[in-house]
Formats: sequence, C-alpha cells, structure tokens
Amino acid sequence: MKSYKELPNDAGSNIIGQVTAQADRLQKRLASVKHTVAIMSGKGGVGKSAIAANLAVALTLRGNTVGVVDADINGPTLAKMMGVRNATLEYTPAGVKPAVAGLGTKLISMDLLLAEDDTPVLWNAHTQKDAFTWRSTMEVGALREFIADTVWGELDYLLLDLPPGSDRLPNVAELIPNLGGVVVVTIPSEVSQLVVKKSVTMARDVLKVPIIGVVENMAFYVCQHCGEEEPLFSADETLDDAFQQVLLGSIPFDPRLARCSDTGIPYIDEYPDTPASKALIQVTEKIQNFFDEKTQRSL
Amino acid sequence: MKFLCTDCDTAMKFKDVTRPEQGSVTALFECPDCFTEIAMYLNPSETQMLKSLDLKLGGNNEAAQPMQLVRSQLETAKGESMPNEFSPEIASSETTEGGKCPFTGVISEAFQEEPEPTEPTGPVWSAEALERLERIPAFVRPMAKMGIESFAKENGHDEITGAIMDAARGNFPAQF
Ligand SMILES: Nc1ncnc2c1ncn2[C@@H]1O[C@H](COP(=O)(O)OP(=O)(O)OP(=O)(O)O)[C@@H](O)[C@H]1O
Ligand SMILES: [Mg+2]
Repeated sequence: MKSYKELPNDAGSNIIGQVTAQADRLQKRLASVKHTVAIMSGKGGVGKSAIAANLAVALTLRGNTVGVVDADINGPTLAKMMGVRNATLEYTPAGVKPAVAGLGTKLISMDLLLAEDDTPVLWNAHTQKDAFTWRSTMEVGALREFIADTVWGELDYLLLDLPPGSDRLPNVAELIPNLGGVVVVTIPSEVSQLVVKKSVTMARDVLKVPIIGVVENMAFYVCQHCGEEEPLFSADETLDDAFQQVLLGSIPFDPRLARCSDTGIPYIDEYPDTPASKALIQVTEKIQNFFDEKTQRSL
Repeated sequence: MKFLCTDCDTAMKFKDVTRPEQGSVTALFECPDCFTEIAMYLNPSETQMLKSLDLKLGGNNEAAQPMQLVRSQLETAKGESMPNEFSPEIASSETTEGGKCPFTGVISEAFQEEPEPTEPTGPVWSAEALERLERIPAFVRPMAKMGIESFAKENGHDEITGAIMDAARGNFPAQF
C-alpha cells in the first residue's frame, strides 16, 4: 500500500498552493511599496489613530505618496478621522480602489464596508458561536486582503494603524516579512507605559521587528491663553529611560486636534504652527530619517 | 488530506463537493482506475475552518476576486460595497440569499447553505417522507429530492408520501 509521501497531492485540493497564491498576491502588491510602518501601542485610547492620520498627512505634505490601512478591524476610526467616511469603494479586476482623502492620502478601512454607524463586524458562519471562534482568523484574512487587494499604486509609505494591544502585531509581521518598522505610542501615565513596555519587548525581542521609536502623546497641555505648558498627567510621571532613548517626539494635548479628528480635517494642515503640529512634524522627519539612513546603509 | 483506493493502490481524485447542510459539507472522491467513490463529511467546525482561511476543497481554479473573503464572509457589509456589475461572469451569477453579498454565490459557492425558498415551490413532504429523505446521503440528496418532486408533479401529486417515494424509487440508484 502506498504511503502518504508516495501519493502525488492532496486529491486535487492543493491547499498549500492556495495558501501560497494568497501570499504571492500580497507580496506582489507590497513590491510597489517602499516603506511600511505599523503604528501600535499596548494600550488603548492613547492616540494611535489620531497620530497615524496626522503622520499620513505630514508625509503627504512632504511630497510622499502615502497609503493607510486601518488595521483595527473591529474598531475602525480612520475613515472618520481622515474625512472619507462617505466614500464608496470601487471594485475593479485589479483590486479595490481605496478612499482618497483631500490631500491625496489613500485609505482602506472596514468602516468603508459596514452598513451603518452602529453595525458591528459579524462574520458568516453556521452559528454565531462558530463565527466568534474563528473571528481572529477572519480578521487576519481581512487584513491580508486590505493590503493585498487594494490598488495602492506606487507608495512611498504604507502606514498600518493597529488596534490596541499587541495581539495583531505577530500577524502583521507574518503578512509583511519586511515590515519597515514600528512606531509605538504611549501617554506619560505609568499605567500606559507599563503595558506599552510589554509590546515593545514583544516587537523587538520576539518578533524581531525594527522599532523606529516611541511617540509620547498627550505629553502636556499648552494653555491657549498664556502659552504655559502644564503636565496633563501627574507631574512626576515622566517617560521611562528606555523610552527616552528612542523618543521621536512629545505631542501635547490640543483640543483642536481632537476636534479635527472628529470632523475629518487634517489638523497638521489646518494648524501648522501649533506646538502639537510642530511635534508631529518632528516625528515625521525622524521617521523619514530612519528610512533614509536604512537606505544609505544598504547601499 | 490524501485518499488511497486500497484495491487499486491508486490515489483518489476530488470529484465534487456539496453546499453545506446544517453547516457541514460532503466531498466526493473517486478512484481514477476503478471509479469507486467515497464521501468525506466535514463537520461544521471543519467546514468553518476552511471557510475562515478562504480555502476551497477541490482546489481553486478561478482567479481570486479582490477582497473575496471579506466580501463573501462579512455578514454585516453594506450593499453598495458589493457591486454585482464587477465582471461579466459575476454579473450573470445569481444572488443566493436576499440582501446578502451577490458575490457569495460565486466566491464560496461551495460554502453557502442552500438558500431558503421564500415560498414553497414544490409539493409538500409528509413527515415520513422527509425522514426517509434525510437518510439519503447528503451529496445525492438534492438530486434525489428534485427527482422525486418532479416525479410527483408529473404524476399529479401535491404531497410526497412514502408511497410516492416507493413509486419514484425505480428511477434512482440510491436506496431510500
Ligand atoms: N494630542 C492629542 N490632543 C487632543 N486629542 C487627542 C490627542 N491625541 C489623541 N486625541 C484624541 O483622543 C481620542 C483617542 O485617540 P485615538 O482614537 O487616536 O486613540 P487610539 O489609541 O487609536 O485608540 P484605540 O486604542 O481605541 O484604537 C480621540 O478622540 C483623539 O482625537
Ligand atoms: Mg485607534
């Protein structure tokens, strides 16, 4: 009787071939992307998405072609923050045309596919219990398709706004083996830093993904009347030494930034001279330098 | 997964797969030498696993459609994001379930449940006949059901009973 190895294939299903074809599709698309950057944090609500949206705008204003993947499948916010919530995706044989924000930044987000404001992401399954069991697998599949099946064209930067926590990073690292680097966002509170440290270790030591640096968000508050800087969190909650060494910038809390995020207006373009915009531009420059130096080194 | 015809010592080949019934699908494999067929039943979890990974039994001969997993498996997708005038072959395919993605029928046809008929189109089945129908192997059941229904219709019966199944039986190889 023939052994497993002697049988030519899996009776014609070619499961390995199907998986390889998925990976090929992804790599083909990524071939026209110069740099991929994941924006993440172990903690929720620290401003990852607001920062991703503004970095995308800053990079665009500096002459780059930029695409953004809203990798937060269940809590997508970027379509709103980038002012393209009403965009209708266009499907072509080459792929799905992304939403394009005012300044030309491209976006793909689950939000563009959901029916109503209050519609959650639910997957087809025999029972909803099955759907929940397989949820994570579906989400990774969705993320793969978002990257692979969007007609990005030639991109200088593809930013990925990750959901809170570090669970999604291993999937991203697997989908994008040459991930350019990670920008980690924290707020000054010890609680946030405690969690964010874990995700940095995960990224750097376990997944071996390059850390571009840390952004300290809501670092302080600038009085709009006298210009005085006040700490937003407790005054003795300073940034951990390990974070200081790779600090890309400290972004103050600015209510106008929150308002711009809510109304889909690019803050950095609307208020270019505020301390927060200047800090965001500094972060953008450092990210660009990171990749410029990397390119130099590889020459 | 590989299958061997132990009589011929030959690798069996994929032949067909049914749509899911209560979440499980049946795949048919055939020996290319002696044409013996075997049926493999996937339970709902196994079916769901393939579906979630966007993999198909029997291989995937069609070119991948953009975002096919999201578009076929996202239950809560908005209608307009699922165009049906995408390409000729898709435009001509039917929507299998009202209000859901028109791609569903094409993309993971093998994984979609039989659509619920909106109104009874055929004759009524008696409880006994239904029970006997259940005993027919899943992969031939739809065919058998259609055959019995058209037999009943041709012979002017509104209800399918055990007796009508017996009468129709002569036309079918399957035992029921
Ligand atoms: N520097 C800032 N100044 C003022 N408001 C800010 C600032 N950074 C973020 N925000 C606001 O804080 C809120 C939370 O930010 P955001 O949604 O970007 O966080 P997040 O880390 O992406 O959250 P999640 O973990 O849920 O993805 C938003 O309303 C955003 O506009
Ligand atoms: Mg977010």
